[in-house]
Amino acid sequence: MTAAATGLHDFTVVTNESVADGLMRVVLSAPDVAFQMEAGQFLNVAVPGDASQILRIPLSFSHADAKAGTIEIVYAVVGDGTRRLSLMSPGDASTVVAPCGNPWPLVEGSRRACVVAGGVGITTVVACARMLAEAGVSFDAVVGAQTAGRLWGVDVLEGLGAGSVSVTTDDGTAGRRGFTTDALADLLAQGSYDVVYACGPEVMMAGVARLCRDAGVACRVSMERMMCCGFGACGTCNVAMADGTYKSCCKDGPVFGAEEVAW
Amino acid sequence: MGEISAGDKNVGDKNVSAKSVGMAVDLGGVRMQNPVNTASGTFAFGSVFEGFFDVSRLGAITLKGCSAEPWPGNPAPRMCEVPSGMMNTVGLANPGVAGMVEQYGEYLAGLEGRGCRVIVQAAGHSVEEYVAAVELIEELCPWASGVEMNISCPNIARGGALVGGTPESAAEVVRAVRPRVSRPLLVKMAPVRVPEIARACEAEGADALSLINTINGMSIDVRTRRSRLSKPTGGVSGPAIHAIAVRMVWEAAQAVKIPINGMGGVATWRDAAEMILAGATSVTVGTASFYDPTCAADIVDGLAAWAAEQDASDINELIGAFEC
Ligand SMILES: Cc1cc2nc3c(=O)[nH]c(=O)nc-3n(C[C@H](O)[C@H](O)[C@H](O)COP(=O)(O)OP(=O)(O)OC[C@H]3O[C@@H](n4cnc5c(N)ncnc54)[C@H](O)[C@@H]3O)c2cc1C
Ligand SMILES: Cc1cc2nc3c(=O)[nH]c(=O)nc-3n(C[C@H](O)[C@H](O)[C@H](O)COP(=O)(O)O)c2cc1C
Ligand code: FES
Repeated sequence: MTAAATGLHDFTVVTNESVADGLMRVVLSAPDVAFQMEAGQFLNVAVPGDASQILRIPLSFSHADAKAGTIEIVYAVVGDGTRRLSLMSPGDASTVVAPCGNPWPLVEGSRRACVVAGGVGITTVVACARMLAEAGVSFDAVVGAQTAGRLWGVDVLEGLGAGSVSVTTDDGTAGRRGFTTDALADLLAQGSYDVVYACGPEVMMAGVARLCRDAGVACRVSMERMMCCGFGACGTCNVAMADGTYKSCCKDGPVFGAEEVAW
Repeated sequence: MGEISAGDKNVGDKNVSAKSVGMAVDLGGVRMQNPVNTASGTFAFGSVFEGFFDVSRLGAITLKGCSAEPWPGNPAPRMCEVPSGMMNTVGLANPGVAGMVEQYGEYLAGLEGRGCRVIVQAAGHSVEEYVAAVELIEELCPWASGVEMNISCPNIARGGALVGGTPESAAEVVRAVRPRVSRPLLVKMAPVRVPEIARACEAEGADALSLINTINGMSIDVRTRRSRLSKPTGGVSGPAIHAIAVRMVWEAAQAVKIPINGMGGVATWRDAAEMILAGATSVTVGTASFYDPTCAADIVDGLAAWAAEQDASDINELIGAFEC
């Protein structure tokens, strides 16, 4: 499989709506690139509205529909750029640099997987689950959020055929009170997974990595870094590796083997 | 991106068409098909831009600074955004000259063959390290049209003071490197004491001067009271520094006879034209390539259209044509 070259593509907004507290879902019409996107890759999005904010915003996607030519992105409104994105209306146009980065890998011979999402990490985890479903790999899911109002994706994962979806919230307002790692520890104790895929806050992924290492289960994580370009031009998105070197989050990642990363 | 497009035949009813404008420039012996270059550290080693446009359309590209040995660079976070710009503390992370040649040598030799000049940049923390880097470049990069020495690196032996921070220290390192470089030698200056350091570099035999490098800045997260970078300070780049850069290019052009490779916040053909009027022979695109990856190629077209509009049959007529 050779990945498509990263290029510059136009998009228009199809819909942009709130799906949970502080979480929005935007659907972009981008027929030139939607068919090239593979689960785990991301887009670097130019968000108009403030000429003094020059850089693009890196965002993963939850669903790229090659037939419809659309890309669905679930994003958290955390700062000025994502606030401007939340104000884009159907028909508004801009550009993306995409596809960026490497896809989630299907681990050879794996038949049972577990996907773990913390916070807005759910976006790329949903894409991962769709990839697993299409490849016939059965999977369970763990979804964590701060509080019930910020949860998204449970029904989507169920719709994709998840064996089970375990929900955790920091405050106990939905599912189990605690962290995704608490739920994953129990699942690892019962289940016989071949591989775990995780995206969420770095402390969460570090915890997932530790649990998987102790259980002897392969683990893949999707990392985030502050980024400028998203295609290997600037060298600002370094991730420290266990062997003492740095790798580029946008070009070598964002998906890494959990054992490669210096947590 | 601008309103003038190269396709326009007679912009502003003038006698020259954009297509007929002579665009070739000579940057101290680096013969470029047009004045547009890319800034070290903002264009990697060129190849990642081929998905956006045909890189061989540019006059030149300048590679990420390479040292004799690989350098790991600074921890994350290495960048943050500031109004109309960004800050970085990459710390000159690079694979070393040999690592660069192994990965990109074939592509770069090919790019030279396609008509785009390749300028290799040397980095070092001491006079000895610069000498080691240029000696490796001489040996391993026969395809390169020029060598640029980045004297905006911290000198480890001098407590981190810039290698090129004073006319004396700049002269010392250019003097040591000059006899070892058989090709045109460009010196990439820090944005400090521009006229004096420019003259010192010229006196030691530099063929051209590149400026400006990033301007040191700070950005503090007021909640955590920490730097938004992994270091207290970082280099500011992008449109935020453009007006300062134009002034410094103009000062350098007044101070020396060797050509100037002007940069700092160039994002449109207009910014590039300003640099040329201020006295730059070539214009270099940096940070803008991160968010507008086709920017450098668009500027090639925009400059030709602007020259035609100015009734210049050759872009060289406009170098330093600023009237005050
Ligand atoms: C590969 C990748 C994929 C991503 N996918 C998604 C996604 O699917 N959905 C989503 O909501 N977010 C995603 N992010 C994070 C998203 O890029 C940031 O939230 C966004 O850039 C913030 O921009 P802003 O201007 O709104 O916030 P700013 O005002 O710039 O910052 C607000 C807060 O967000 C943090 N932040 C800023 N940039 C980043 C970044 N690049 N990575 C992580 N945190 C950042 C800042 O540290 C700060 O705490 C992804 C990031 C990366 C690197
Ligand atoms: C991420 C980044 C890395 C850079 N790396 C180098 C470098 O290795 N050597 C160098 O001389 N300048 C380096 N620079 C400075 C640029 O070459 C240029 O001088 C500066 O950014 C000003 O131009 P701009 O505003 O168009 O970016 C770097 C700049 C950035 C933003
Ligand atoms: S974001 Fe520029 S190299 Fe990764």
